[in-house]
Amino acid sequence: MTVNIIVCVKQVIDPEAPPSSFKVDEAGKKVVPPSGVPPVISPFDENAVEAALRVKDAQGGKITVLSMGVNLLREVVKKPLSMGADEIVLLEDEAFTDGDSWSNARALAMAVKKIGEYDLIFCGRQAADWDDGQVGSGIAEILELPCVTVARKIDVANGKAVVERVTADGYEVIEVSLPALITVSNELGEARYPTIKGIMAAKKIEPLVWTPADIGLEPAQAGAAGRKMNLEKLYQPVHEGKCEIIEGESPEEAGVNLALKLREAKLL
Amino acid sequence: MKFQGVDYYQIDELLSEDEKMTRNLVREFLEKELEPLVVDAFHEEKPLDMRALAPKMGELGMIGACLPEEYGGNGANYVTFGLICQEVERVDSALRSYIAVQFGLVSYAIFRYGSEEQKQKWLPSIARGEKIGCFGLTEPNHGSDAGAMETVAKKDADGWVINGTKQWITESSVADFAVVWAKTDEGVRGFIVERGTEGFSPTSQSRKGSMRASDVGELGFSDCRIPLENALPEVKGLSAPLSCLSQARYGISWGAIGMAMDCYETALNYAKEREQFGAPIAAYQLVQEKLVTMLIEITKAQLLSYRLGRLMDDGKANYAQISMAKKNNVSIARMCARLARETLGANGISLDYSPIRHMANVESVYTYEGTDDMHTLILGQDITGIPAFRRQL
Repeated sequence: MTVNIIVCVKQVIDPEAPPSSFKVDEAGKKVVPPSGVPPVISPFDENAVEAALRVKDAQGGKITVLSMGVNLLREVVKKPLSMGADEIVLLEDEAFTDGDSWSNARALAMAVKKIGEYDLIFCGRQAADWDDGQVGSGIAEILELPCVTVARKIDVANGKAVVERVTADGYEVIEVSLPALITVSNELGEARYPTIKGIMAAKKIEPLVWTPADIGLEPAQAGAAGRKMNLEKLYQPVHEGKCEIIEGESPEEAGVNLALKLREAKLL
Repeated sequence: MKFQGVDYYQIDELLSEDEKMTRNLVREFLEKELEPLVVDAFHEEKPLDMRALAPKMGELGMIGACLPEEYGGNGANYVTFGLICQEVERVDSALRSYIAVQFGLVSYAIFRYGSEEQKQKWLPSIARGEKIGCFGLTEPNHGSDAGAMETVAKKDADGWVINGTKQWITESSVADFAVVWAKTDEGVRGFIVERGTEGFSPTSQSRKGSMRASDVGELGFSDCRIPLENALPEVKGLSAPLSCLSQARYGISWGAIGMAMDCYETALNYAKEREQFGAPIAAYQLVQEKLVTMLIEITKAQLLSYRLGRLMDDGKANYAQISMAKKNNVSIARMCARLARETLGANGISLDYSPIRHMANVESVYTYEGTDDMHTLILGQDITGIPAFRRQL
């Protein structure tokens, strides 16, 4: 069987940007995009793209990339196309900004419904900006789909997916019927590089751009207006680095002194 | 730390989506796969193993990006080729030399002057990184004065017989074949000589103070007999190899920007962290002057090569414009390497930082593919109409 897969990818601030470039607007409760640091696709989402490409390599099928936001840079969000994905849908409108996991999951679920035919939805295990890790399971809930999280291997056959799911002490194997939503973890392995041939092909693929109205949402249901969670405070914690060398006549005594010091500080 | 680019004049906005995606791809690949190999290769003068690395580069399409699809390329434009050169030379000039030789010199020579059979035989395999070529023009006694070459090819009933020596040849000892230029009764012609041909002896050169991560050496031809069909059919005269040099020089103009960017970024980061007299050295005017000088020159070089690339893509660039970009950009890369080395103080001489390696490499780049002086004379001739290359004594 050929498999139709929708992969959700998010454009985020490059997590490898220099820490000094990270700024928070505390009054506006927003992260200030660092100047001169281009955004990237969230790395876990690249793992999700790789997972989809592996299924496509094995089974054949079609991969549709779905992304949401504003100022989506085409050279960023089209990267999965240059890796081998087939189509791209962008929910790109001011109304989609500053959503929470709920409003984002809802918008993406509505877009998935509009895309229509699919066997699998892949998401990264969490986005590299807010690290909530809830949107994938949120989409599954809204669409009433089975959901397997934190996958490291996915095999598809006979209308089912066999998924290796990462656990704290190893992994478990889960069989799930399709359609299903799977969130993918970095244990799956490095995403493949794009190719220049793929880049040239991606150049010819025009994204479908949808607004809230296109997916049946009122503007008040999308982005910040659709939030169910209120962000009380956003700030950068101040990191203070203090170093004290604990000494002793012998290594054993230094160890005892260290333990006493830690107990004194109520850390033990 | 991941390189974020140097783009003070928002030149990125002038690049197309596919140009930026290619640049990003090459940057990501180089940082993960090749950058970790470079310092040891340079330090030990053990050339990068292009036999192993080239297929990886070929798989991504980096080598023959600009070739038409029917010859294994991707039909990318010259700006894309430039951006590839920029990113590879940011890591090391040896890698840019490889790219510039494979596309600008070897592939271009075969694509422009070769027979259809030669194109089908060599171009796709070069683009895939399966075959490596080298380009023999420079000789021990004739560098800038290539027209006075002593290598000769004589034709007889069975083929061509080549005698002579070529020197300073990139990828000489690893190459599967050489595109060699020799004097014939019909003028200068190009020949494809395959590795293993009797009378053909490629060697590698050591004890280099520059391009130490690159395979550079000599090609010796002693009654080297090749079949008639190994001559490039569409060429007679020195203008052919010079047209190949124009391609490579264009790539160098972008590569030099990459080198300068890396030096600038290294110096900027160092200056912000290194403290002397109670403050980061970036707080001192003399250091700021160095950083600003580098940034201004890099920005000017970017604009020069960007415009040249667009002219190349429109088929409007001439060889003198290419000379201007090669001359200027390599000069400013040389200056940036020196200023960055100075900014790093004593640490600047350590191979743990890139400027001293770039500083050594740029001396080769300053001289090869037309010395800085020769490009001055090319431009001088272009604006005055008077050639100043020769003098009667």
